[in-house]
Amino acid sequence: MIFREVEDRDLIIQARRDKVEAYNLLVSRWEKRIFNYLLRLVKNREDALDLAQDVFLKAYQNLRKLEDPSRFAPWLYRIAHNEAYSMLRKNRPETDLEDAQHEPWLEPGPTRRMLPIEVSLAVERALTRLTNEQREAVVLKIYQGFKFEEMSDILGCPVSTVKSRLYTALDLLKDTLSSAEMRGKQ
Amino acid sequence: MTCSPSALKDYFFGELNAEERELVERHTQSCAACRDELSALDATRSAVLCLREEEPPRRIAFVSDKVFEPRWWQKLLVFGPKLGFASAAMLSAAILFHSLHTPSVIQAPVPVARIDQQAIEAEIAKRVQVAVASAVADNEARTAEKLLQVMNARLAKSDARYEVDLKTMVEYFNRMEKRSDGIRRAAYDGASQ
Repeated sequence: MIFREVEDRDLIIQARRDKVEAYNLLVSRWEKRIFNYLLRLVKNREDALDLAQDVFLKAYQNLRKLEDPSRFAPWLYRIAHNEAYSMLRKNRPETDLEDAQHEPWLEPGPTRRMLPIEVSLAVERALTRLTNEQREAVVLKIYQGFKFEEMSDILGCPVSTVKSRLYTALDLLKDTLSSAEMRGKQ
Repeated sequence: MTCSPSALKDYFFGELNAEERELVERHTQSCAACRDELSALDATRSAVLCLREEEPPRRIAFVSDKVFEPRWWQKLLVFGPKLGFASAAMLSAAILFHSLHTPSVIQAPVPVARIDQQAIEAEIAKRVQVAVASAVADNEARTAEKLLQVMNARLAKSDARYEVDLKTMVEYFNRMEKRSDGIRRAAYDGASQ
């Protein structure tokens, strides 16, 4: 991670000198992670891809405004967060509908051990039951490995709020997943 | 230390300093409930991490890709002022050259007193007008030629792209046709048996 940061910083400095290839390399490095972060937020592959495209373009246009190149990752995720929430605000009715959709895996089913794919599906469904803010906190912490301070920068809220969202989400996930597992073991 | 769900989670995510970490560790050694909570958190994180990251369906376009290149008319807009400046410079040079190399009127073997000032001025104005018209015409011709070249190049490029797309589509349809033939044949064989 430290080596990666050093290299990213170097690439950012080069990209700021209009070396486009350096920025292209940065895109290659971060596109998968940014795409997956956006995918967990907007829950649609095409939307996530379009947003990721916008994120990288905006980041390029504003690269000179990034004061500390070693903070590229939180800065990039902050742009992604803003883009995603801008879209979520526009599409709120559909998002709410999707959040409220039927959860077949939560209903009593056949009593057997869950398969790995079923665990994945269960997690996916459990994540959709969280609010956007809670899900984003889980994604940033568990999937992307950010520190609370960095998450606070990305989300634009105090560390205490970040922790509250994450810990509530974790309790919900823990209860939901353990009840699904219990049913699987019965 | 008493049970603190928040401190336990901070510990779980490695967000405590050494002193706080030691306090939590000492507490969990003697508290079964907190140990259970830690293992439940671990199981939850493992389950959440079961969900793998996906590959983007398409590559993110680079800023150096063709899609981000300015269109031909945008390039012209950029070059427009430069062309204008070049034309003005050429025109000035032409006027200067003319004024320096038109001595015949001035050096004509006529007495100075008999020079028709109005005729000279008219002649200069006429020549300047001709030079200006010529420079403008040259400039317009060059611009039109450049425009034509850019348009032709773009047309050729898009034709080539359509041809490739068409070829890909034909290949795809052929493949699909072969596959459906195979399925039909297999269905027919199955039915006849």
